[in-house]
Amino acid sequence: MQTSVPANGGYMVAAYVIVSLIVLLYAWSLARRIHRELQDQ
Amino acid sequence: MTSADTVPSDSRGIRPSAAAHATAIARRGLIITAIGLVGLAAMIVMVQLYTPTEARQGLAQKIFYLHAPTAWSTLLAFSLCGIAGGLYLWLRDPRLDVFAESSAEVGLVFAAMMLSTGPLWGKPIWGTFWQWEPRLTLTLLEVFLFIGYRALRGAIVDPSERARYSAIVGLLGLALVPFVHLSVYLFRTIHPQPIVLKPSAPSLPWDMLRTLFVSLAVFTVLYLGFVTARYGLGLLRGTRKADHAD
Repeated sequence: MQTSVPANGGYMVAAYVIVSLIVLLYAWSLARRIHRELQDQ
Repeated sequence: MTSADTVPSDSRGIRPSAAAHATAIARRGLIITAIGLVGLAAMIVMVQLYTPTEARQGLAQKIFYLHAPTAWSTLLAFSLCGIAGGLYLWLRDPRLDVFAESSAEVGLVFAAMMLSTGPLWGKPIWGTFWQWEPRLTLTLLEVFLFIGYRALRGAIVDPSERARYSAIVGLLGLALVPFVHLSVYLFRTIHPQPIVLKPSAPSLPWDMLRTLFVSLAVFTVLYLGFVTARYGLGLLRGTRKADHAD
């Protein structure tokens, strides 16, 4: 008997969006802080 | 001793300024981060297009390729923070304190990813976002400990006192890491046991294992990029404070 694959793609999409956002925001925050620090030197 | 006193000479015997050295480290970190971001985009394409969907769990199982690597980077960051703290207590090199601070901050960023992907995977599979079971509870305690580490650093003004106290908290965090990893063996838990970091062979088909190795590599590169850039930023702040003190 063939069982159907559960429809739970929304959780996967949410996880990939959240992780991508956190990574991008932290990278941007680091670049911004370094840029500001270099200007203050 | 300030970070400016510890800048090494280059191969020609010229001693570059501390600020230039710190700037070079920060820029190197941003370049590694950019490589990690490209790797992340490629990994997402690989997961969506080339990695098979698990029959029983469906698409939610693909959260595994985020959850396991972010957990790995979190524990790597917290462990290196503790090791750097321990080395600081021994060697009293302020660069070790700057590195420990950087690794703790980056570890909390990865912890945010781990703690958001875990419940999103748990809800469709376990039927609940959270369970107060040993692995999850110990992981949360570890994260709280490093939030406390950050708060402690903000509360102490004297740099050497701050470095000493926070090194001790970092070491406590390091001591907790093996318990987090081994909690699935030590206690009754609904959290799955490790499928790669275990004594026997990995229990995953090759298609999935390959994607897991790629995602582990990507999140390790991201950790290296973040921590290098944050370390460079910490050194830059140190040189500015040293300049103002002169």
